[in-house]
Amino acid sequence: MADEVENSGQTTDEQSLSEPNIYVSLTSNPLDSTTALSRVKSSKAGAVVLFAGCTRDNFNSKTVTHLSYSAYAPLALRTLLSIARSVHSSHSLVSISVTHRLGRVDIGEESILIAVSAPHRAAAWRAGEECLERVKEKAEIWKEEWFEDGGMWRSNRDGQAGVPVVKEGQDSGEHAHVDGQQQAPGRENA
Amino acid sequence: MSTPKAPAGHFTILYFAAASSYTRKDHDFLPAPLAFHMLFDVLDQKYPGLREKVLDSSAVTVNLEYVDMEEEVAKKDRADGSLALKEGDEVGIIPPVSSG
Repeated sequence: MADEVENSGQTTDEQSLSEPNIYVSLTSNPLDSTTALSRVKSSKAGAVVLFAGCTRDNFNSKTVTHLSYSAYAPLALRTLLSIARSVHSSHSLVSISVTHRLGRVDIGEESILIAVSAPHRAAAWRAGEECLERVKEKAEIWKEEWFEDGGMWRSNRDGQAGVPVVKEGQDSGEHAHVDGQQQAPGRENA
Repeated sequence: MSTPKAPAGHFTILYFAAASSYTRKDHDFLPAPLAFHMLFDVLDQKYPGLREKVLDSSAVTVNLEYVDMEEEVAKKDRADGSLALKEGDEVGIIPPVSSG
């Protein structure tokens, strides 16, 4: 069974699940690529691949000021662990580490780091890509994109904006006429 | 997010992303027991329009396990009946995800 470490140690608020050679976590701190790499490096691994997903400054040319991620943490950690375990096994990896950031993320900062190590490069490249795609499809984590005039939930499934983030004091009638249908379908995120 | 424990005779429902924006809450405590197939009716009554705007495109978890909504609705008229939400359960409304 996985060891669950909540609010573990030091000054970090990182929540993680881990097994030998598999580590997944959620944190509201800035992500550190060196830490992710060092978690997976091994004398058995000739290849280490690191994917860093970074926040973009626009959506359909509209200026994004910052992003904010929220999660159903216990469920998202379980899902990340299940994906990491499956990718680790199917690509015969040496080690895998997945960390997603939560809370406000400024433009150009990393929102996810996936590090994988394998004896040879082909497996590492493929595993990294497969892991990212599965995380984007399944992990119970949500991105709000904030524009100059408010926030909007994003959906990876259809590339559309979802229900707007209602600001304090805004009339609830606002719900009726905004559903993001103006967005181009099929748009890729991150 | 840390949710307080549901009072006696209630279950917890957690709202994320669009569900949280629409209800302007991150959780509610609802009276238990409740037949699972009635959940969306209860929520749409409490927050008119929630079904169309959020619930119809969301998945649902009970105690961190996904529940097959169509199957539960189909079971409601059968002898075994649909799942009942019990006191202390944690139900999650899961809109389409967007990590990465």
